[in-house]
Amino acid sequence: MNTSTVQIILLIIHLLFFIYAFFAIGSYVILAIISAVETLEYMKKNSFVNYKEILSSTISPSISIIAPAYNESLNIIENVRSLLSSHYVNYDVVIVNDGSKDDSLEKLILAYDLVKVNFLINQQIPTKPIRAGVFKSTNPAFEKLTVVDKENGGKADALNMGLNISNNNYVACIDVDCLLLENALQKMIKPFLEVTEETVIATGGVIRIANSCIIKDGKLLDVNFPEKRIVQAQILEYLRAFLLGRMAWSRLNGLLVISGAFGLFNKKIAIEVGGYDTNTVGEDMEIIVRMRRHMEEQKLKYKVAYIPDPLCWTEAPDNYKIFISQRNRWTRGTIETLRKHRKIAFNSKYKSLGLLSYPYWLFFERLAPVIEVIGIIYFVILMALNEVRWDYTVAFMLLAYLFTVLFSIVAIFSEELTFHQYKKKGTGFKLIMISVLEPLVLHPFILYAAIRGNIDYYFNKKKKWGEMTRKGMAKAEK
Amino acid sequence: MSEAKKIVLAEDNSTLSLLLKFRLEKEGYKLLVAADGKEAIELIEEQDPELILTDIMMPFISGLEVISHVRNKLKKQTPIIVFSAAGQEEMVLKAFNLGANDFMGKPFSPNELVIRVKRLLR
Amino acid sequence: MESYQYLIDYLKNSPPIIQAVWILSCFFFIIIVILIIYLKYLRGHLRNNEKVVAKYQKEYESYLISYLYAGNEEEEISGEQQTIIEKLKISAADIFKRRIIVSTLLRLRNEISGEMAESIQKLYYQSGLIGYALSRLKSKKWYVVAKGIRELTHFHVKEVHDEIVILVNHPKKEIRKEVQLYLVTLFHFEGLKFLDVLQTHLSEWDQIQLLEVLQHFENQELPNINPWLKSTNDSVVTFALKLAKIYNQFEAKDAIMELLTHQQKIIRVDAIHVLSNLQVVEAKDILKNNFDKLSLEEQIAFFKLLENMYETSDEPFLLAHVTYENFEIKLSALKILKIFNIEKFKSLKEISSEPEFIRIFKFIAHNQL
Repeated sequence: MNTSTVQIILLIIHLLFFIYAFFAIGSYVILAIISAVETLEYMKKNSFVNYKEILSSTISPSISIIAPAYNESLNIIENVRSLLSSHYVNYDVVIVNDGSKDDSLEKLILAYDLVKVNFLINQQIPTKPIRAGVFKSTNPAFEKLTVVDKENGGKADALNMGLNISNNNYVACIDVDCLLLENALQKMIKPFLEVTEETVIATGGVIRIANSCIIKDGKLLDVNFPEKRIVQAQILEYLRAFLLGRMAWSRLNGLLVISGAFGLFNKKIAIEVGGYDTNTVGEDMEIIVRMRRHMEEQKLKYKVAYIPDPLCWTEAPDNYKIFISQRNRWTRGTIETLRKHRKIAFNSKYKSLGLLSYPYWLFFERLAPVIEVIGIIYFVILMALNEVRWDYTVAFMLLAYLFTVLFSIVAIFSEELTFHQYKKKGTGFKLIMISVLEPLVLHPFILYAAIRGNIDYYFNKKKKWGEMTRKGMAKAEK
Repeated sequence: MSEAKKIVLAEDNSTLSLLLKFRLEKEGYKLLVAADGKEAIELIEEQDPELILTDIMMPFISGLEVISHVRNKLKKQTPIIVFSAAGQEEMVLKAFNLGANDFMGKPFSPNELVIRVKRLLR
Repeated sequence: MESYQYLIDYLKNSPPIIQAVWILSCFFFIIIVILIIYLKYLRGHLRNNEKVVAKYQKEYESYLISYLYAGNEEEEISGEQQTIIEKLKISAADIFKRRIIVSTLLRLRNEISGEMAESIQKLYYQSGLIGYALSRLKSKKWYVVAKGIRELTHFHVKEVHDEIVILVNHPKKEIRKEVQLYLVTLFHFEGLKFLDVLQTHLSEWDQIQLLEVLQHFENQELPNINPWLKSTNDSVVTFALKLAKIYNQFEAKDAIMELLTHQQKIIRVDAIHVLSNLQVVEAKDILKNNFDKLSLEEQIAFFKLLENMYETSDEPFLLAHVTYENFEIKLSALKILKIFNIEKFKSLKEISSEPEFIRIFKFIAHNQL
């Protein structure tokens, strides 16, 4: 192989990287613009909406909140109390104790005066069997609560049990430690009731990070910007993803994922597609793709909607070990879902789902870390061969870094102009700092976790959920 | 020397508080206004009022917790009137169970409120 | 100086692509710096804004309260009130202040009733605020029009009915929604006349809001809903069915029974639910005879109807369906049988070996229902 061929190959490789980067950046910019437009429209429309009527209306549709719990003994009482204090009228809460090995059930029975009841379950989706039973409260103040104790089957299995048990048309699948704001249900149910030509199959909400926020008795008292860099970086990441990404996908009706921490579903359709898949760790993404696919196959007009208001606050990982474990799981979930549904890729039968959403997710979410690592390895090889053109390297890396920082700052701006959650003095400065630091503080770990995820997926099938240690939300000062 | 009777008002709507303060002070009462449940409890503990008026839906600490605090923690029998928005029947029942004496649904007439206050303070 | 020259030379001698990249980098950097400065300004501005709003709010609050208590027996408007009106007129010219004044008036108006509420209303007129709301109706921007209508609704301005009612089929749904709320809030059941001419779809959200507003009125005299039940606009039919259910419109039963053969499945199912609530016995036989041709949702709805209105003559039908494929129907059938013929019910124990049937049977046998 002579030098000119090598030159040509190198040129093609460079060109491919370049094209990839170009499209990636282009897509970020386009999505950001569409998001901005959509958010602006949403704010205008919603400055009118009166949520008061719908929450006290007995005609408003009934919702079941389903919250799976596994070894959540530390906070379960508080969390349930919080879920029971929503201002919506027609709803109930189903806590699925998924074979916990701790005293969650005993604590609940004591705190909420629960007794075992005879309950007939319509087994529309197969699940692991009941363990201790179904419990309801003797105290009328807690009549909305149902607690189900079952054999361990994983989050997806627990959610399916909830689907079987609920008698309502809409189910809100939520992480039990998620703090739901009092008006969350009204806001989430609105898309289902507003659209006319299409069926809304699911609505997703924004997850806000609760670390360092003051929470008492299940109510969000004060929003604080956390001190730890890793948490700050995640907040920034969420702002970028939600405000500059998901809003756009919602407008394009291309949302492929609704956060597993909080989503509202049309129960009938969720059951029709067979409920959550217990064989994947990315069950939140997988069920959306499956529901969308189902609607496309049935040739029914549908929409997956998205509410940008802060509705749900949850704890984010505050140390690198747990963070990596979480992102590892997300990576495996994405790979599993994309592989399971590869039939829709580039398939015009599935319209924008197959021609836009799937390819985007494949190239810019699933493959991005892989391509980045290949790029790094290539660079290292070039260094070893002393072939590095440092002037190019420095220039391009600086450009990439500045672009990332610029993008983050735009995300911060969007937040300021819309929901303005971080009002305190000095937070503006902290946000800028973390925009500058995040590519160094968070991104390498995301990359590492994604590669581990790929490795684990292909070579380490036994890995499942991993641990998340409960620390408890920050308590209010007295 | 007869001192004016003290009333603590817990209401997060500042315009309404101002109106009620004006009205009730015209009748000779002394009004202490709290903007939320937490402030209300502090005022009640400090000032030991003759009557408590509280909205049910308030941020942070609800009116129900105020009533509960007064009846169960402070063990006082101070007369309590609650205000509630429409559609809150469940809350009103809970308020009575906790020991409230009277309730007025919003929107209400300030004159009517004055009559009820006078009645409870006789 | 030397390094500066070195940099310039370096850039001049670089390939164009590197030059482009550096220029772009500088461009980004400058934008970042601008945005950071603007961000600081923005945050400060927002914070300041909040303080300013709070200050004005306090000011207008005290104007309002003074106005309300400054009236006297003799004159329509006392001298003190006139002063306040003049002050408000001046402030209202500024849009920022106007918004605060309006929201202050509203905050109070929504909480109290009686003569105080009427006084606030009068103030709204006297201070000229109403003029601004009216001019909004003529705006080209949809959200300005919608906000205008909303304000007029909140302040119960009935006089503009004619200008507003023509917007009932406006292409923008937010405007239509405000128009509907205006009509119903101010004109109660009379306001529902717009259903006669509504061409667009009335969403569930809108329907719920309208029904909630209607429920708060003293006089619950419903107009004739039959024309709406026959409407070509399916959402009007759905709404009329809701009205029939909530207001127990037994008189409309014939029109509702006709809906059992409506094109839309949702409406047929809804009709069954309403007929069940109204205890319309004729419907039962019609549906029973047609049972096999009904869709599954209608069949399930029918069994719920039977739970409400069963008679002994229904026994053979129930028996025929205790082993029906669908879970909910089996459950319904067995439940009803247990209630009125417990012996017959017990005899069914061995009738099927299907596990779901056995579970349901056991559950019903061992529980008070």
